[in-house]
Amino acid sequence: MITRSWVFLALCLCACGKQPDAAPSTAFKVALITPGSVTDAAWNAGAYQGLQQVKDSLGAAVSHIEAHTPAEQEEALRSYARQGYTVVFGHGYEFQQPAERVSQDYPKTIFVITSGKRVSGNVVPLVFRIHEATYLAGMLAGALTHSGKIGFVGGMELPPIKLGYDGWVRGARAVRPDVETRITYLNTFDDAAAGKEAALAMIRLGVDQLHHNADAAALGVFSAAKESANVLVYGANGDQSALAPDRVVASAVVDLPRAFLLVTRDVKHGTFTPHTESFGLQSGVIRLAVNPALQARWPAGLKERVQAASDSIAAGTLKVAAQAVP
Amino acid sequence: MIDGTIAVAFAAAAVRVGTPLGIAAIGETVVERSGVINLGIEGAMLAGAFGAAAGAAEGGVVVGVAAGVVAGLIVAALFAAIAVGARVDQIIAGTAMTLGATGLTGLFAQRVWGTTGAGLSLPTLQTVRLPLLGSIPFVGPMLFRQSVLTYAGYLIIPIATWLLFHTRFGLELRACGEAPTAAASAGVRVARTRTIATLLGGACAGLAGVSLVLAQVGTFTERMTGGRGFIAIAIVALGGWHPRGVAAAALLFGGATALQYMFQAVGSRVPYQLFVALPYLLALAVLAVAVGRRRGPAALGQPH
Repeated sequence: MITRSWVFLALCLCACGKQPDAAPSTAFKVALITPGSVTDAAWNAGAYQGLQQVKDSLGAAVSHIEAHTPAEQEEALRSYARQGYTVVFGHGYEFQQPAERVSQDYPKTIFVITSGKRVSGNVVPLVFRIHEATYLAGMLAGALTHSGKIGFVGGMELPPIKLGYDGWVRGARAVRPDVETRITYLNTFDDAAAGKEAALAMIRLGVDQLHHNADAAALGVFSAAKESANVLVYGANGDQSALAPDRVVASAVVDLPRAFLLVTRDVKHGTFTPHTESFGLQSGVIRLAVNPALQARWPAGLKERVQAASDSIAAGTLKVAAQAVP
Repeated sequence: MIDGTIAVAFAAAAVRVGTPLGIAAIGETVVERSGVINLGIEGAMLAGAFGAAAGAAEGGVVVGVAAGVVAGLIVAALFAAIAVGARVDQIIAGTAMTLGATGLTGLFAQRVWGTTGAGLSLPTLQTVRLPLLGSIPFVGPMLFRQSVLTYAGYLIIPIATWLLFHTRFGLELRACGEAPTAAASAGVRVARTRTIATLLGGACAGLAGVSLVLAQVGTFTERMTGGRGFIAIAIVALGGWHPRGVAAAALLFGGATALQYMFQAVGSRVPYQLFVALPYLLALAVLAVAVGRRRGPAALGQPH
């Protein structure tokens, strides 16, 4: 008797697991999984705004969840796919591998991996050439540093973060070839106190221009810059001038809402084919947002120089990445 | 490379980083001495951080400090009700507290500040330079040019020592941690004593969260405690369950953390993961070599 009820229970569970295949939902449903809090005023906040715009502009039913660990991330992807979502955004490079595993079981769901690596079946990457904007930010830092030392605080050593750092360094060297660069990885995207201590350590060693790619943990970088004299800071992934209006020179922006809209619109209209969608300065999705309050400090001719570099990058005549980026 | 001013900056950073760890760990020392291990202090610290940010945004730093301590107390009171009152396994109860606080503070933060976050506009506690003491070379800037909460941390060391080892309540508390049945037959109200100890620990964890927000970053972010509560529990063992040892262990851990940022900022070809692991490796080494034979309270973790 007991054995029989267990078998029955197991059959029920199997049936539940297969349900979406049996009765596919016709509604246009879009989900977002972020690796951290959407209150980070940057990477995750932009994605959340993107999701809201997909809801408002395309009338999609939307859902969002935070998933911090690899196990949670894979489970979240699987769960949305099982519920019949049309598009699932895995917001970051770290979602590439779990999405490839999950997608084999759910061929009808399109998994969009922001900063992803490659196309694999129905897993498609959005590639952001953030280094095109961090190059421009680096040029400003190279021109504005007094000590000749610039620093970068990264959450983890992920390929998109390294690319952003590379662009920053190359841009600074283009203006000031002898510039010294520092980099610290926090191993966290949440711990703002860690971000602050890392930034303070750099400031003690003479760094006076700070850039980051550490989401919420980077709030500590801004906090450190705010309380240290003569330190300027550069935002990442969103326009972060408001965090420290008298300290933020510019931000390397990824216009995530625009990118999200572009890809989901194609899916909704049935014109989507799996391909790598790559965004740079040319597309307008990647741009440098300048804080006008600090523009008076720019040395003469810098504005024109940055504009010229921006035009060359957009035209494809100035390459800013070490390796080929699609 | 490492000249005088950088050594001073490093030492001050060690104390600054060690402050929340030390405050939380001394609180947990009192809890563990009573025979309770509270893994929920990570959650209490996070609740304290949220309370501090919400309180400071609403009514300034004093309200922030009070709200943070109260938030820590609430989490500890829930833990005490479940683990001491209902005698649920302490490890499970503590883990549940931490998971619950992580989820709820995230939810509340989004309700209070929306998706834009708390920003950096909160009022914060400034560094206070103590007269005379602050002028001593090296030691002055290291120990006596810190925030008020670090000074509160200094005071908690002798207060906890006195409470544990020089009062009747402390004797009863330690008896509950060593032999609760014997203590009960001698007339000690074990559940009551353990509840009070847990609440004291919760207030300290809340204060540790306050120091992260109001004395360090000046904002609240979800999961911002980043495992400091669990590190504090390790520090209790590292410090041999004595407030002075625990304070020293917190300083050691703070120093190792400050050192790894300094190493990374100086620049080297060593993989950063090794630097990030440095404080933990050091703690492990000290635990194995120096305090290997020290034992904790005999009835630690046992419900009564």
